[in-house]
Amino acid sequence: MTTYPTTEMPSTDTAVRRTDRLAGPAPRPGIFDELSKREIRRAVLSGIAIPGYQVPFGSREMPVARGWGSGGLQVTLSLVGQDTRLKVIDQGEDAGVNASNLRRLVVGHVGCEEETDTREADVIQSRHRIPEQPLQDGQVLVLQVPGAEPLAGIVKNMDEQRRMHAEADYSKMWVRLYEDIVHNGLITNAAGYPVLVEGRYVMTPSPIPRWDVPKLNHSEGVTVLSAGREKRIFAVPPHTLVEPLTFEDRPFEVERTPGAACRLCGSDDTYIVQEPGPDGTFSTWVCSDTDFCRRRRAGDAPEVTALEAALAHTREESTI
Amino acid sequence: MSTMNAPAASVTSASAPSVPAAPRPDQLTERLGLGIDRVMAESGLWAPQLAARAFGQARGDVTRATQLLRTHRTSLPRLGRSLPVRAGELRVVRRISSAFRNPPGGQVLGRTLDYVGRLLDLLPEEEGRQRAVLASESAHEHHDHHGHEHPGHEHPQHGHEDEVERAPGHVLSVFREMDIVAPPGDHDDPEPYDITRHPARPGVPRSALLQTMARADTGALLYLWYGSEWKPGGQEAHEVPGELRHGFLPIRVEHPHTGRPVTVGDVRVSEVVSFHSLTRASELPRHLDVGYGMCFGHNERKAISMAGADILLGHYEGTERAAGLQHDVLLTLDGLDITGYTEHQKLPHHAEYRSVLERATAAAAHQAGPHRTGPHPGDTA
Amino acid sequence: MSTPVPLAPPTWALKVEGLGRIYGDPSAASLAGTGPEHGTAVSPATGAVVAAWDVDFDVAPGEALGIIGESGSGKSTVMRCVAGDEIATAGTIALRGVDAGTTNIRDLDPSARRRLRLDQISAVYQDPAAGLNLDVSAGGNIADPLTAIGWRNYGRIRERAAQLLSRVEVPLDRMDDPVRSFSGGMRQRVQIAKALANDPPVLLLDEPTTGLDASVAAGVLDLLRGLLEETGVAAVVVSHDFGVIEMLTRRVLVMQHGRVVESGLTDQLLEDPQHPYSQQLVAAARG
Repeated sequence: MTTYPTTEMPSTDTAVRRTDRLAGPAPRPGIFDELSKREIRRAVLSGIAIPGYQVPFGSREMPVARGWGSGGLQVTLSLVGQDTRLKVIDQGEDAGVNASNLRRLVVGHVGCEEETDTREADVIQSRHRIPEQPLQDGQVLVLQVPGAEPLAGIVKNMDEQRRMHAEADYSKMWVRLYEDIVHNGLITNAAGYPVLVEGRYVMTPSPIPRWDVPKLNHSEGVTVLSAGREKRIFAVPPHTLVEPLTFEDRPFEVERTPGAACRLCGSDDTYIVQEPGPDGTFSTWVCSDTDFCRRRRAGDAPEVTALEAALAHTREESTI
Repeated sequence: MSTMNAPAASVTSASAPSVPAAPRPDQLTERLGLGIDRVMAESGLWAPQLAARAFGQARGDVTRATQLLRTHRTSLPRLGRSLPVRAGELRVVRRISSAFRNPPGGQVLGRTLDYVGRLLDLLPEEEGRQRAVLASESAHEHHDHHGHEHPGHEHPQHGHEDEVERAPGHVLSVFREMDIVAPPGDHDDPEPYDITRHPARPGVPRSALLQTMARADTGALLYLWYGSEWKPGGQEAHEVPGELRHGFLPIRVEHPHTGRPVTVGDVRVSEVVSFHSLTRASELPRHLDVGYGMCFGHNERKAISMAGADILLGHYEGTERAAGLQHDVLLTLDGLDITGYTEHQKLPHHAEYRSVLERATAAAAHQAGPHRTGPHPGDTA
Repeated sequence: MSTPVPLAPPTWALKVEGLGRIYGDPSAASLAGTGPEHGTAVSPATGAVVAAWDVDFDVAPGEALGIIGESGSGKSTVMRCVAGDEIATAGTIALRGVDAGTTNIRDLDPSARRRLRLDQISAVYQDPAAGLNLDVSAGGNIADPLTAIGWRNYGRIRERAAQLLSRVEVPLDRMDDPVRSFSGGMRQRVQIAKALANDPPVLLLDEPTTGLDASVAAGVLDLLRGLLEETGVAAVVVSHDFGVIEMLTRRVLVMQHGRVVESGLTDQLLEDPQHPYSQQLVAAARG
């Protein structure tokens, strides 16, 4: 057995002083330290440098369960400062339980400003939606990602997934879409529709509806996608080409229900979700983006939604 | 902003008058020690007082307590690293070998729930506990005096305070001298991989696999070893825990001024070394496979499962299935990761679900409508 | 450095020179004591298996070359090395379609090597499961190589798949059925259609009819013979069966214990085999 020479442990006081010197003053009730935040920012920058590429990172444990936005939370915490205006939405709503709790957590920790107006927010953390208001230069959208790997349902082996990305070998993905049309007559991918980023990497846009997918194309804002459980961060920088994967003769379709409109603001050009009507069936519709709906009612929302703007941009490009 | 707070407010009301006073952490450690040990093992953090707090605050939910403890750890700066210690330094309070009737160093039964048939005790709490202690002591007496006398087979003491502490040699080293176990793998892994800082994927060094298993959800690890498809078929004999230990290991750090090792405390761990003879094609079954398991606290089930799973990892190493098994170890065992998926099922999904319904409706309309994709080629809708 | 004189494109589509594959110690020490004259491919000195050594051949467009030998003779190893399924230990493999034959594709990195499989070399394996995804429809299996080189029009992909499937005589009403529901002969036809999808200049066939019932095999052979004649593809046919070699190829190499023991025109070799091992194979085929 090896024996080590040992000396006495330093007194508690000395130890505490030394701790302070090494790590700085005791933080306010912490979530994570500055070094960890720096590591996350580095991963975000790598993601922005290689649009659509999944950057592995040392995902930390967060005060919320994995799957409740632990990935998005880490990115948001790394980006916000005290003067940041932070908006958090879940399914498009600022008021959802999860959105409220996440926002309160970050605000309580960092002391930044709560915001619900999309136009005023610097950082928008979201689960499953991109706001209807077109994003502007300087805004960052942080999307929570439950499953980062678009090839996961196609090959299980992670080495093979990485090889396919490295070689842009996506024929199996195309075969999947082909088979879908053969068997179902159309592509049945609903939310989280796979996209090709800048002609290079196939990426999942997180489970946003197809309605939101065109908004990623040539967006003015930065989109950062973060998967805490899978420990990967990826990003779409501004003015980046993002195309949903589909065949030339099978146009990409967003969720439209002819004749349906929000019962509150009357919009038929926003993403609407079903609500129980007077007869108890899911017969009425409301906007999923509650901020936009409120502003539509107040006459404070733009005529052209982010989707329409994005589609107009795409049409413009295709005619050039 | 009133809508913002409304749904969330009810979640955090804790001070209802009927709730009894919460047990103090030391009471929890005393009465629910194995549960707290499990929390520390799954957290990968030795912190009995904090773990007891977490366990209490999580109302006994091991995974939630693990989340609290790990999240707390994440919020703290990392000031240094302890020095490696040899497992041989482990001062045992319990040590058994099922491979030998009387292993070198002797059997030390220690404090355990094993060996005694147990019924739910319906006596008032204090009286019942008293009786249970007596019963377990008499059972040990019985075990020790049954059969031959062996020199050096010491009678273990009971009770937490005066448990025998010693560091008997490992059965593994005896086996190594006899040259009947597989030599240690040639792992180019001198600096341990840090799974808390780097995501671990198949192909990582062995240290990452061992760390992941040491922090794994106990039930998930047990299943991977015991119940999954990874056990080689047709191998009837099962592995033998050559040795199971529970005891204390010193924690040493380098003194910042002198550079010399300083013992700053100790941790309690469970350690298991298992042996098995799994034959592989193109290999003579001359050597026993060795599996190693170690985790914080008194968690024998976990350490045994880990050692068994480690044998499987070695068995598949270098084969086509290695990546698959490593995938399962690295990505399906962590309690927080795997329960995260379950927890997130409770979050709203209506924006996503609306999209799913739209596609289902569209596909149904297509099947019924005039654009049906026929079997014939070249048709486009 | 002198600028290489631009050469006329070679007349061959595939040329293999000095190809070798050793499992184990790849040094020259492994060669001694192996080969037909020693009756083994296992090196007595190093224990390495010299699965193939010193194999030379070329194949012209529209031509089919056979490689025959018993199992363990090295013929399938040669094919896998040419296909890129494994990496040869020694030698040169050149394709007219890659830098007009001036590049040894053995030197390419695995990624570049895999890309050649899209439209330069195709392989048909004995086991259809090795070349197909059985859970995908026949059309979907053909869509794979098409989309890999950039086809993005669903209608045109279906037209091309249908054209290929009808060429290999798979009924079009089976086009959308998963290949798993197909018979062995039908699966093999789908695999052939997939291999031809991008009109590769070189086609490798490894025991394409082994394991099929005799009547089914005859049908597939007939099909292959027609395809080789009309497509102008350069084909290498690996088989243990002289019947297959005779039906499909004009020239043949005979391999034993990892070496080529005889080569020549297929009909002459069948008529008048020189090497005792060839004689034995021919006698067995004629028996």
